[in-house]
Amino acid sequence: MSAHICRVVELMMRSACCHTVRSRTCLHKSGFAPVVPAALCAPGAPRLHRRAFSLGSLSSGPGRPTLGPSAQQPLAERTSPLHRKLSAVAVQGQYRPLCRYDYLDLGEVEDNVRRAQACKNSRFFIVDPDLATLITQTLTPDDAKTVIFDCNPGPGVLTRTLLNAGAQRVVALEGDKLFIPDLQDLEGRLDGQLEVVHCDYFKLDPIGSGYVKPPAMFTDKLFTDLGISEASWTDDIPVKVVGILPLRNDRGTLLKMVYALFERLSVFRYGRIELNLFISEKEYLKLVARPGEMMHYRAFGVLWQMACDIELLHKEPWESFTKSSRQHVPGPKGKLPNDHMCLVRLRPRADLFSAGLTPSNASTLLMMVKQLLAKRKVKLIDRLNLWSPDSGSKLLSEMGLSEDILTGHVYPEEYLRLFQLMDKSQEFTQSWLYEEILENTQREGWG
Amino acid sequence: MSLLRVCAFAKCLSRRSLFEKCAVRPSLADCCQLCVSRRSGAVRRISETPLQLQRRNVSFRIPKTEDTKKRVLEQSTLLDVLEARIHQLQSDGVVEHSKVQFVKAPSRGASSGKATKSAPHQKTDIPKSAAKGGSKSQPSRWMEKLTQENKNKLKKQQHLQQKIQKKDKPAAKGKGGKSSSLLPGTSRKTISTAAQKTAPLIKTSRGHTNLADEIRAAASPSTVTAAGTGTGALPRKVSKGKQKKDPTSLVPSGEGGQQQQQETVTDAQIRAKELAEVEELERRLSQQVSQWTSSSNPERLQENSEAAACGDIQLSIHCYLEACVFAGNVDRAHRFLLSQHRVMSRRKHLNTGVYNIMMRVWAKKDTLSQIGRMFILLEEAGLTPNLGSYCAALECMGRNPNCSPRIVSRCLSKMEEDGLSMDNLFKKCVFRQDERDMVLKAIRIVQPDYQPSLNPTTSQCSSSLVQDFYIQRADHQYPKLDFSEEELQERFKHQLAMEQACTVTINSVEAAKPVTENMAKMRELLADQRTQWRKILLQALRESKLILANTNTKDYRLNLYPYLCLLEDREYVDIMIQSVTSLPPSGESLKILARDVGNRVYTKYSVRQKHQNQMVEKLGNIYYAYTDLLAKDTKEYEVLPREQWLKLETEQSSGPSLQGGETHWPYTVTLELGTYMVDLMVKNLKINSDVLNSAYDRKLIPILYHMYTFRSTRQVGFIKPHPILTQMQQDAMETKLTFDSYVMPMLCPPVPWTSVKFGAYLLTPAKLMRTVEGATQHDVLLERCHNLHAVLDSLNQLGNCAWRINSPLLDIIISIFNDRGSDKLDIPPPLSEAPKIPHFNSQDPAYTASEKAHMKREVITAKKKCSEMHSLRMDALYKLSIANHMRDELFWFPHNMDFRGRTYPCPPYFNHLGSDVTRAVLVFAEGKPLGPKGLDWLKIHLVNLTGLKKRSSLQGRLEYANSIMEDILDSADNPLNGKKWWMNADEPWQALACCMEISNAVRSPDPTQFISHFPVHQDGSCNGLQHYAALGRDVIGATSVNLMPCDVPQDVYSGVAQQVEEFRVRDAKNGLKIAKVLEGFISRKVVKQTVMTVVYGVTRYGGRLQIEKRLKEIDEFPKDHVWDASNYLVRMVFSGLKEMFTGTREIQDWLTESARLISKSGHTVQWVTPLGLPIIQPYHRTRNQVLKSSMQHINLQISHDSKERPDTVKQKNAFPPNFIHSLDSTHMMLTALHCYSAGLTFVSVHDCFWTHALTVDTMNKVCREQFVALHSQPILQELSTFLLQKYFAVLPSDAKNKKYQDYRRLMQLLAKVPPTGDFDLQRVKESTYFFS
Repeated sequence: MSAHICRVVELMMRSACCHTVRSRTCLHKSGFAPVVPAALCAPGAPRLHRRAFSLGSLSSGPGRPTLGPSAQQPLAERTSPLHRKLSAVAVQGQYRPLCRYDYLDLGEVEDNVRRAQACKNSRFFIVDPDLATLITQTLTPDDAKTVIFDCNPGPGVLTRTLLNAGAQRVVALEGDKLFIPDLQDLEGRLDGQLEVVHCDYFKLDPIGSGYVKPPAMFTDKLFTDLGISEASWTDDIPVKVVGILPLRNDRGTLLKMVYALFERLSVFRYGRIELNLFISEKEYLKLVARPGEMMHYRAFGVLWQMACDIELLHKEPWESFTKSSRQHVPGPKGKLPNDHMCLVRLRPRADLFSAGLTPSNASTLLMMVKQLLAKRKVKLIDRLNLWSPDSGSKLLSEMGLSEDILTGHVYPEEYLRLFQLMDKSQEFTQSWLYEEILENTQREGWG
Repeated sequence: MSLLRVCAFAKCLSRRSLFEKCAVRPSLADCCQLCVSRRSGAVRRISETPLQLQRRNVSFRIPKTEDTKKRVLEQSTLLDVLEARIHQLQSDGVVEHSKVQFVKAPSRGASSGKATKSAPHQKTDIPKSAAKGGSKSQPSRWMEKLTQENKNKLKKQQHLQQKIQKKDKPAAKGKGGKSSSLLPGTSRKTISTAAQKTAPLIKTSRGHTNLADEIRAAASPSTVTAAGTGTGALPRKVSKGKQKKDPTSLVPSGEGGQQQQQETVTDAQIRAKELAEVEELERRLSQQVSQWTSSSNPERLQENSEAAACGDIQLSIHCYLEACVFAGNVDRAHRFLLSQHRVMSRRKHLNTGVYNIMMRVWAKKDTLSQIGRMFILLEEAGLTPNLGSYCAALECMGRNPNCSPRIVSRCLSKMEEDGLSMDNLFKKCVFRQDERDMVLKAIRIVQPDYQPSLNPTTSQCSSSLVQDFYIQRADHQYPKLDFSEEELQERFKHQLAMEQACTVTINSVEAAKPVTENMAKMRELLADQRTQWRKILLQALRESKLILANTNTKDYRLNLYPYLCLLEDREYVDIMIQSVTSLPPSGESLKILARDVGNRVYTKYSVRQKHQNQMVEKLGNIYYAYTDLLAKDTKEYEVLPREQWLKLETEQSSGPSLQGGETHWPYTVTLELGTYMVDLMVKNLKINSDVLNSAYDRKLIPILYHMYTFRSTRQVGFIKPHPILTQMQQDAMETKLTFDSYVMPMLCPPVPWTSVKFGAYLLTPAKLMRTVEGATQHDVLLERCHNLHAVLDSLNQLGNCAWRINSPLLDIIISIFNDRGSDKLDIPPPLSEAPKIPHFNSQDPAYTASEKAHMKREVITAKKKCSEMHSLRMDALYKLSIANHMRDELFWFPHNMDFRGRTYPCPPYFNHLGSDVTRAVLVFAEGKPLGPKGLDWLKIHLVNLTGLKKRSSLQGRLEYANSIMEDILDSADNPLNGKKWWMNADEPWQALACCMEISNAVRSPDPTQFISHFPVHQDGSCNGLQHYAALGRDVIGATSVNLMPCDVPQDVYSGVAQQVEEFRVRDAKNGLKIAKVLEGFISRKVVKQTVMTVVYGVTRYGGRLQIEKRLKEIDEFPKDHVWDASNYLVRMVFSGLKEMFTGTREIQDWLTESARLISKSGHTVQWVTPLGLPIIQPYHRTRNQVLKSSMQHINLQISHDSKERPDTVKQKNAFPPNFIHSLDSTHMMLTALHCYSAGLTFVSVHDCFWTHALTVDTMNKVCREQFVALHSQPILQELSTFLLQKYFAVLPSDAKNKKYQDYRRLMQLLAKVPPTGDFDLQRVKESTYFFS
């Protein structure tokens, strides 16, 4: 009993020390009422109102890039009254340095919705101009050196908003042929700021030895075609990816990505690619679960927390997204809330590979973490002793951890350090399980 | 005193039980009318938010105040319950009426049947049946729901209690008190059950008399009306049907001819016609249904509901009690039953059978008072005693040397009152030990000259297909085995000894190798270690058993303890050591390992059980008498083995019964026990780390590790051996292999299948139908099925074929096996031939990153290759070792079947279904002269085995064989040093065996007199398509699969290839690139596999993979185009097939669509083969069940649970192939039966039939005749009728809703059997190449 309390206290202390995940809860959540499909055909007034409100609260939020008021653009001639108003709000305060006089029309909302709904895959779309604006603001696209990958833009609302906001180079990776012609049309009208590729970002580097044809693609080809060269890990961020993580197999995709990150395969060969993804709230909460939350603290979260600075940029209710005809909105399964999509920034840490961890031994780390966290209520020391008899206590004392700590109470940073220590120790590297681990890191398991 | 009570229980209890029932059911019905719900709803709403807050707080990790936590959780569970109830109250009030009526219409028969049974209860009869009638409507549903709630609550509570490690009494009381304020029903229950333990029973029920009376008074009007609607339901339905028909009868009623003539049919008219058709169908159906329900058994429905209720829990309870009793732990069993009985929610899992188990125990102990008490409990639980209960009571009376006749006659008259007859008692009950004699003794106290009438029910096979077979037996000559009676009995003794031991240890074929010094050392080391391990495990097992026995204070919880007392401790340890020895070096998943270990315990237990029941001796007696039928030195019999066995069994009726009596453990029990034992192993088995290399520090390390592998997002628990252990085992090359006894072929003819539960091995349990682990729906159907004679007889026939080993060939194979193996000849090489696993140090800075990655990849592939090779090698080692062990024996393969009726030999490794190697090693034990045509058949068979000359006529093949006689003789004489002609055959080993046989025959003085043991095969040419073509009477299709007599065999694969080539040429002309690339590559081989499997439901996806594989084998084919080309080809193959087999496609589509609609309507697809075998597709939505153990939670994905909705995709995709398989199995069974009556030796590998060279012609004739006979049946028509009856026995009432539309669509579809072509089926009889 008392031991338990001690453990809890200790845990709290440690959590105070290692604060890494800055999950900033969003302020303007209250502004969104669950309306959308009905609102699409309803008169625009209440809708507009809603948006205005949310934007208002957004701009008052601390830490947001506040944008100076800028000249309103004469869009009125080209759009209907309703959408003129909408775009007016959306475009407010943005400018495009390269072609100041030509603002891209986002198109009719109904039109975009219709086109999105025609899509035969199950997908979500960002059609709402205000949402697009909001995302754009979080991305700070006017940084000239960074390329932005707009994944599965669909009707291209976000793409246009990004360009309007001054993005220098946007690559639209669209997996569905349906949207390609329109995007290419746009590409043709611009002066090189936009490139359109028929490619599904989430299907990059397929496993298996099949014949690869678009939208599946290999990263090498994509990056070579785009002329982006490999960069050092510690360099600035070369590419920002923005998109919605497909709900189908979202966990699998995330795992595949974190594997690639640690081994510096796939896109991560080209440097620290920053991901700005909408993921379901449930998955996000699991991603940032802390030690002690035995249900949700899993290897997958630990690995992401270890590798990246994770920042919650925005929370948006499911209803704000337009969904294709085959997409279903998931209900809350299990105990976690799941009413929103979370825009999460995953920015790989520059110092990840600085102390002993290399892409070549990373697979061992992955397997170690996975084995240890398969059960969270076992003593860490027992697991370690299995791998190398009698060396567990030595390791733990080196780490400054107590002997009876459970695997589910160890922080990601501590796992990283544990691995670094293990990797240096002769006993572990010679242990037969070390080899087993090697064998087991086959790509087949992203568990 | 107690004896008196037994006699008197009928009187006083009937009343009491009535109170019980009335008190519970209607009271709940009443309480629902109250507005408790509203009130509690309000309460909930008010208290929800703070409570939920509290809950959240609690879930925080500080377990500061356990009491508050408990209280809060309790409150919250209570709230949950209330919430659930509110929902029920709100929803059910509305929906109920429409549903209730329906259920009742058929159920009336059953309940009235029961009423007559319980007729002597005069006084109580009316209210009782009323209560029963009522129970069909609302009150019972309420009861169910409430008990369900109660159960949930209890579960949560248990969970909580377990967590906080507190005594449960205060909690239970607290709960009782709390709930009583809200729910009178539940409170009553808890009080009564609590009281039971201390106060005498009468008191408790008397205490409730008042309440019960009141409630009965209140309830009776409602139940009467319920009964009224029950009777009213049928006529009303009929009238509804008529009304519906009326408007449509205005439209031309003579549907069919007239209407079709009208050329200008408007839409409305079409619809009207359809409607009329449906009406007509409905009418026909309802007629049929009413006939059906009125004429046949009311049992059916009862069974139905019973089967549905009989869940896993019930089975677990049953097994648990039996295990307790078996282990002699009567006390535990008794306590368990009482505690189950005491609580309503647990009581509902009990059935009469469970109480009977305890009665049986008391009967043995001669304590009639306890049996009386059990009867009281039965009544209390609202169950009626069945034959088993009375059987136990009588047995007990029989055991008492001075039992008064009065008691016995009371018991007998009570039995009669319950509608059970004495004769049935002897016919249906399963007796153990001397139970039967005791019962008889008891009865004879009253009726001194009573003799149970035991004329076996000789119901003839109903299927018209085999009617003649069973009735006209005059010219049947059943084959005899080539043994004397004595020999057979001797063999029986051997087999019995083997099965009693449960395991067999044999020499492996590697024993022939010389023993090196290192090997000897390792063997010694291992032996030492094993004794050590045994000691440790024994101690660990004892300790953990002790802990298990003492810590479990709650009686009602099932735990593993009794299962650990079934065998001696030593035997558990043996099983564990055996599983360590056979663990593959790459490890085994925990689930599989645990299942195997658990199954071993079960097998041993059930063998023990048979011993304890004193069955073995009787089995021996009957078997000895049975050998009379088989042996060659006795007279000819005119009966089949099954009939003979049954006859013998009735003749020797005293003593224990042989059939039934054992309950299979539920899968979860097996797994749980297995995991427990694996856990013991992982925790306790250790070894010194310096045992192999003294340079290492000495540390005691475990030899088994529990770890995880990761597959996609799942993690799978694995048990891996330490490399030291693997190394030791490999170095020792131990020459002994230990198998479970059922792995070996039988040493004597198997026991004939006489019922679903009895047959095959002597003691080892075997299933008639192989099913997915845990699936019960097949068993339920089979047991309900009364006439499986033809199926059982054909299985017996297949099992009765004796085999022996082809020694010369086995020697050659073993020599290669022990040398270096040969991939080409399919003999897996030893691990020493495996690629070496490169070792490298990942720390070494000398390697660059890419080199490291490369080496890592190499290590991985090498390891993968090694583990593959190991498993192949072990498989071959097992097969060859068994064959080698059997070298000088004669043996039998008992058979059973899968759920579609396809037959398989039971021994898993070594059997005639195996690979080329195992097939080549087996020959018939019985030899027959070749006769005039035998040698020719041998030669033709040889050519067939080579795979050459597939398109030549038989004559052509024979000529070819004659032209290469030199090669054949050379192969036979110098198999390994000669020209090695045989090695290039499709099936080299069988070809070599055939070469040897031919050379022996040719060189014998008179080949026609040469005694040959060699089986000659006749293969159906694309058997699936043959059945389709015959079903559809499809002329083109029939011709291309050789149903039509032709001079040379037609080859459907070439036909399809030709067709595809035509398409390709067309497309190439049109400029399709891939068609041009494919020029010259389309061959028979490329399309063969796909065409073959299309019948069995291969999809485009699978077909593409098959073709891709073939294309990759062609070296010249450009690799870049493989994907496109295979994609293109598979489309072409499908359309080519469509063109050629029009009828086939139609039937396939009809089957698929029917299955889809049936499945969508919530049913599983079921049908009956023409031989009466019921088949059900066990594909349902997956349900996850988590099995918790200290080691790991095992996640079971159960996809066969019949309570889940059917998996539509699987149901529909699998129906056509399964249906065709059920037909081909029927054809095989028919052929088997008729071959048996013609005195042939016959075995089958699905669509490949084997017999002696002498009898090939006869077999061919039988095979064709039976095919024609089978397809002369209106198979599809019968299927359609069956499905209509099956799924429309209950007609939906509401004509408007969508369900009704679906249902009508389905009905129309089912009624519309695809039309057939005009192929003349009789032509098959003349077709040479039908099977060749």
